Amino acid sequence: MVAQPFVRIENVTKRFGRFTALDRISLDIAEGEFLTIVGPSGSGKSTLIRLLVGIDDVTEGTIRLNGTRIDTMPANKRPTCMVFQSLALFPHMSVGRNIEFPQKLKKIAPAARKARALELLRLLRLPEDYYGKMIGQLSGGERQRVALARALAFDPQIIVFDEPLSALDYRLRKTLEKELKDLHARTGKTFVYITHSLEEAMVMSDRIAIMKRGRFEQIDVAEAIYSRPVSRFVASFMGEVNLFEAAEEQGKARWGDAGIRALSGGLALPAGWRGALMVRPELLRFVAEGQGADFTVQGRVVAEYALGSRIQYAIDTLAGTRITVERPFEQRLAAGSDAPVTLGWDRDAVHPIAEEPRHATA
Amino acid sequence: MQRLESRLGFLSGLPILILLLLAFIMPLFVVAGFAIMPQKVFELTHLPDFSSFAVIWEQGYYRSLLRSLGLAFLTTVILFIVCWPLAYGMAKVFGRFTIVITLAVVLILFVSENIRLFGWSLSLMKGGLIEGYLRSWTGLSFETPLYDWPVIVFGMAYVYFPFMLFPLAQGISLVPDDARLAASDLGASPARILFEIEMPLAAPGIMVGSLLTFVLSAGAVAEAKLLGGRSVVVLTDDVESAFTFAQNWPLGSALSLMLIGIVALLVLVPVSRVNLDAIMGRKR
Amino acid sequence: MRSVSNTTRIALYLYGLLILLVLYLPLVSVGFASVSKARYLSFPVNRYTSEWMVQAVTSPNVHALVLTSLKIAVLVTLLSMLLGFFGALAFARFQWKYRPLFQKLILLPIFFPQTVLGLALLIWFSALGVQPSWKTAVIAHLVWIAPITTLIIAIRAYGFDPALEEAARDMGASTLTILREVTLPLLMPGVISAGLFAFLLSWGNFPLSLFTSGLDSTLPKWLYARMVSGYTPQIPALGVLSVAGSAALMLIGIGLVRWMRRRA
Repeated sequence: MVAQPFVRIENVTKRFGRFTALDRISLDIAEGEFLTIVGPSGSGKSTLIRLLVGIDDVTEGTIRLNGTRIDTMPANKRPTCMVFQSLALFPHMSVGRNIEFPQKLKKIAPAARKARALELLRLLRLPEDYYGKMIGQLSGGERQRVALARALAFDPQIIVFDEPLSALDYRLRKTLEKELKDLHARTGKTFVYITHSLEEAMVMSDRIAIMKRGRFEQIDVAEAIYSRPVSRFVASFMGEVNLFEAAEEQGKARWGDAGIRALSGGLALPAGWRGALMVRPELLRFVAEGQGADFTVQGRVVAEYALGSRIQYAIDTLAGTRITVERPFEQRLAAGSDAPVTLGWDRDAVHPIAEEPRHATA
Repeated sequence: MQRLESRLGFLSGLPILILLLLAFIMPLFVVAGFAIMPQKVFELTHLPDFSSFAVIWEQGYYRSLLRSLGLAFLTTVILFIVCWPLAYGMAKVFGRFTIVITLAVVLILFVSENIRLFGWSLSLMKGGLIEGYLRSWTGLSFETPLYDWPVIVFGMAYVYFPFMLFPLAQGISLVPDDARLAASDLGASPARILFEIEMPLAAPGIMVGSLLTFVLSAGAVAEAKLLGGRSVVVLTDDVESAFTFAQNWPLGSALSLMLIGIVALLVLVPVSRVNLDAIMGRKR
Repeated sequence: MRSVSNTTRIALYLYGLLILLVLYLPLVSVGFASVSKARYLSFPVNRYTSEWMVQAVTSPNVHALVLTSLKIAVLVTLLSMLLGFFGALAFARFQWKYRPLFQKLILLPIFFPQTVLGLALLIWFSALGVQPSWKTAVIAHLVWIAPITTLIIAIRAYGFDPALEEAARDMGASTLTILREVTLPLLMPGVISAGLFAFLLSWGNFPLSLFTSGLDSTLPKWLYARMVSGYTPQIPALGVLSVAGSAALMLIGIGLVRWMRRRA
C-alpha cells in the first residue's frame, strides 16, 4: 500500500481573466515537511499559497489534505494558517488578544486561552509582559514572533508563510531564518514558505520548489538545486554562475569558447546534446597553462571584488567570454588588473544543462 | 472567495445605491420629464412639446446661463491664482502652520454659508465693519462694493475657497522637490519652473480643484442674493423663481437640465478617466 | 524646504495669515452685530447689549427651529454613518464588478448644485404625493452627505491592509465576525469623523432645507429667509449661537477622536 501524501495538489490551474497565473501545477507535500517555494515576483508562488489557504479559489484541479478535498472548502474552515507578508497583526488589539484571536473564535475559555498565549510567548522567546502591549509598540522582529505565535495558537495542520521576512534588515532576517527552522523542528508542523530568495530557502528548507511563470521548474532538496539545476533559469537564480554554451560533437562536449582546452579527454555528452555547461565560480581555480586541471582557458583579470572572507574576479577569456571566479581571500592574486591568468576546472565541476528544460512534477 | 467578495461588495453598496436611486436619479428623471412638458403643467402626463426651450431662447433666459458660467469661470481663475501660493506654502514650506491653516479652513466650512455671506454684507456695506472703522479712524470713506457683479465673484471665491485650496495643496505635494531643484540647477527661471515643472506635475490637483469650484459656483445662488442684492440674476435664481413664484415647473426643469448637462459634461469626462483607487491610495 | 529663500518664506507666512484673517472677518462682523445695541446696525459699534442674545435664547420660535435642525442633523448623522460605513466597504474594500461605476455614482451628488437638487427633490416628492416636512429634508441632506461620509470612511478603508481581514478569515472567522472584530474597530475613527462632518454639514445646510423641509423651518433656512427680507438684530445673534453650537460640538468631537487614538 502506497502511503497517502499529506497534501496533494493536482493539476491546479488559476486564471485571472485571460491571465494564467498557475498552469496545471502538481505538488505533494509530506507531513512535517518544510517546503519552500521560490520564484521571482509574478511567478505564481503567492497565488499558489493563496489557493492553498483558501483566500482565492482554484480555477481547475484539486487540493487534497489527507485524501480529503479542501479546495472547495472556504478559508475559514480549512486547517491552514497563513503568516502574511505584512503579518496582518490587528493594530487595534494587544499582543495577547492577537494571539488569542483564533482560540476565541474556537470558543475556548478565557483562562485556557491566556495560558496558551503565555506559553506561546515563551516558546517564541518573548517576555510575558508583552501580553498587554499594543502591536504599535513592537519592533519588526517582535511582531514577527507575535505573528508566528498567533499562527501556532490557531493550531493548523499547515502553516503557510508569505515572505514574512522580506521587510526586515539583513541581520535580523538571518537570525529569524534560523529561529524559524528551529521552531519547525520543535513543533513538527508542516511549513510551506515562499520567498524570492533562494539563499533564504537553502537555510531553512527540507525541499525547495522553484517556480517560473506559473509552473514548477525544479523541485528538489537544497543540495541538488544548488549543484544540479535543471535549467539556466534555476542556475542563474542561485546567483552568479558561469554558463558556457556547448554542443555534443563526436560524443564529447564542444565548448562555445574556442580557447577552452580539454586536457584529459574532455566531457562525454549524449548524442545531439545542446545546451549550457555550468561551472560554479568557487570551483574554478588559477592554474599554470596546460596542466593541473581537466579544462583550462587563458584570459586576463578585468576586475577584483573583495567579499570579506572570499574574493571574486571577473575574467575575460581571449575569445571574450566573461567568467566569474571566487576564491578564499588568502588565495588573492598578487598581480593586479589586466594581468594574464589561466583558469582551470575539473570534469566533475561541470554540470550540463540541456536546452528545453523538462517540467518537474514531483 | 471572489464570488463572496462580489456579493458582499454589492450588498454593502446597496443601501446607499437605493438612496441615490430613489432620491437622486429618479428626481433627475422627473426634472428631465418636466423639461419637455408644456408650460405651467404639474403632471408628466401631457404630450411633450419642448416649449420650455423655446421660452428660454425667446425670453433671453440663456443670458443668465451664460452669466452664471462666466462668473463661475472668473471665480475659478481668481481662486486658482489666490490659492496657488498658499497651497504651495502648505505643501512645501509651512510645517506645523499647515495644520493650523487646514484646521481653520475646515472649521469655517461648518459655518453655514449664509451666515458667512451675511457677515460679508455687514463688513462691506456703507457703515459696515470696514467702511465704518475706516471713516472713524481716518475720515476716509468709500462707496460700498455690494450689489454689483464683482462682489458676487468675491463671495463665490470666498465660499468655495477650500474646494480649490485643498486639491491644489494635494496636487503640489505630488511635485517632487528634486524635480524643482534639478530644474533650477539646470538654470531654469522660477517662471519656467512654475509653468514647465510644477504646474504639469500638480495637474491632477489643479483639475480637481478647478472642476469643483467651477461646478459649485455655476450652481450657486446665495452669493448673488445676499451680496448682489438681486442686481445680477444668475441661472439658479431663474430656476428658483420658475419653480416657486412663477409656478412654471417645465421652465425651471429645462433651465436645471441645461445646467446639469453642462456640469455633467465637465465632470463626467475627467471623472470617468481617473482611477479613484490610485488617487485615494489603495494598498493592493 | 531649502529651495525657497527666507524672504519668500516670510511672504508666504504673511499671506497665509492674511487669508486666515479674511476667512474669519465676516464672523467678526456678525459677532459685533450680535452685541450692538443699535437696532439699525452701523459701525463703529459704540453701545453693546446682550438683549438680542437673550431674546434669541428665550424665544420659543427659536427653540422650535433649533429642535427641527437638531432632529434633522442627528438623524442624518446616524443614517449617513451607517450608509457611509457600508458604502465605504463597497467603495474601497470589496472587489466587485460594478465598483468603478459605483465609485463614480457616489461622487456625482457631491458635485451637484444643491439648489437644483433641492428643487428636483421638491417636484419629485410632489410627484410622489409626499408632503415636504423635516423628514423629507433628512432624505435631501442624506443624498448630499452620505456620499461625503462614504468618501471619508473610504479613505480610512484604503489605508488598512486587506490582509488583516484575510488573516481573520484564515483563522476561522465568519464574515460577520470579521466585520465586528476587525473591520468596524479599524474603521471606527473614520466613522466618528464622518459622523462629525455629517452633523456639522447638516446643521449648517440651507440650500437643501430651503426647498425640501416644507413648513418645518431649520435654523439656517429661517436665517436665510430673514436675511433676504431685511436686517434685524436677531439674525447675527442667532448666527453667533449657531456657530458657537457647531464649535462646541467640534471640540467635543476632536476630543473624542484624540481620546480614541490614545486608547488604540
